[in-house]
Amino acid sequence: MDKIRETARLKGIGSRMFRQAGAIALLAVTIGVLVNQMRSDRLTLVADWSPEARLTFKSGASVVISLEEARESFFSQKVVFLDARPPELYQEGHIQSARNLPWEAVEEYFDAVMTDIPQDSLIITYCDGVNCELSKDLALELFYRGYEKVRVLVTGWGLWKENQLPIITGHSPGA
Amino acid sequence: MLENPTTKANEKRKGWNWAKFPPLAVRLILGSVFIYASADKIIHPGAFAEAVNNYHILPETLINLTAVILPWLELILGIFLVLGLWLPGAVLLSNFLIATFFGSLVFNLARGLDSHCGCFNTSQEATLNLCMCLYVIRDGIFLLLGLYLFFYVLFRKNNCLKFRTP
Repeated sequence: MDKIRETARLKGIGSRMFRQAGAIALLAVTIGVLVNQMRSDRLTLVADWSPEARLTFKSGASVVISLEEARESFFSQKVVFLDARPPELYQEGHIQSARNLPWEAVEEYFDAVMTDIPQDSLIITYCDGVNCELSKDLALELFYRGYEKVRVLVTGWGLWKENQLPIITGHSPGA
Repeated sequence: MLENPTTKANEKRKGWNWAKFPPLAVRLILGSVFIYASADKIIHPGAFAEAVNNYHILPETLINLTAVILPWLELILGIFLVLGLWLPGAVLLSNFLIATFFGSLVFNLARGLDSHCGCFNTSQEATLNLCMCLYVIRDGIFLLLGLYLFFYVLFRKNNCLKFRTP
């Protein structure tokens, strides 16, 4: 008898749990969407989070550079590659001739790395992984500091290696 | 052995029942954590959307929706936990959220993704990121507290008398 009563009690509390949880979730959805609609910095509820979309300015200009263009610039030696990853990863391997300007220590290394690079040079930043933000953040920092021709090679390191383009290991930041 | 009813009545009259302290403390801790965690996300939804994206778990179409709704869900759950309102529902949802956060962290740690910068790292050093491990431990503790509250709510006596349904 007690067992039956206990089962019924658990069923009751279980059903109440789900009903209340549903009501709380509905409340959160309603408040969240309403408040979002009222704010000036509202988010569009469904947005494009592809790397290209995230690297496109509101004006429509994109800072993404294709591998073909990056390769051409590399072989014509008209470009400076900047590796935005931490020094340990840079030392494990990087694009040949690339300098390391780790985003996480950009203030520390900026002067040493950028001292001889004119502001109108073509600069390509890269890191690794489709959604890596380091190269984008570094590119924005360079724009902010007055460098005009900055582009981002999305998935730079992985893509460069996959296509068996020249790579090198070693060297520390600022090299 | 039969319990003396007067002793029990005297205990009740004394007012404070120490057995109620642990669940109350856990409720207040988890509730405060939820409220604190929601504040910055509500103020900076764009930055939170970036953070959600860095986890690489949700499909693109759900990222902004999550960034808009999740902070409010955390705030409401926090308030409900602190005030003890709709406790069964609030505890169930809290456990669901904490388990999801914990699972996401462990999943990303296992596949070598640093959710902080959103980069896939292949080196072991990067995979065993100290910060990520600390987050996992922190969320693991929250999960244990959540589970304690869940079983407390599920198995405590006189549930029916104490909770109001929505």
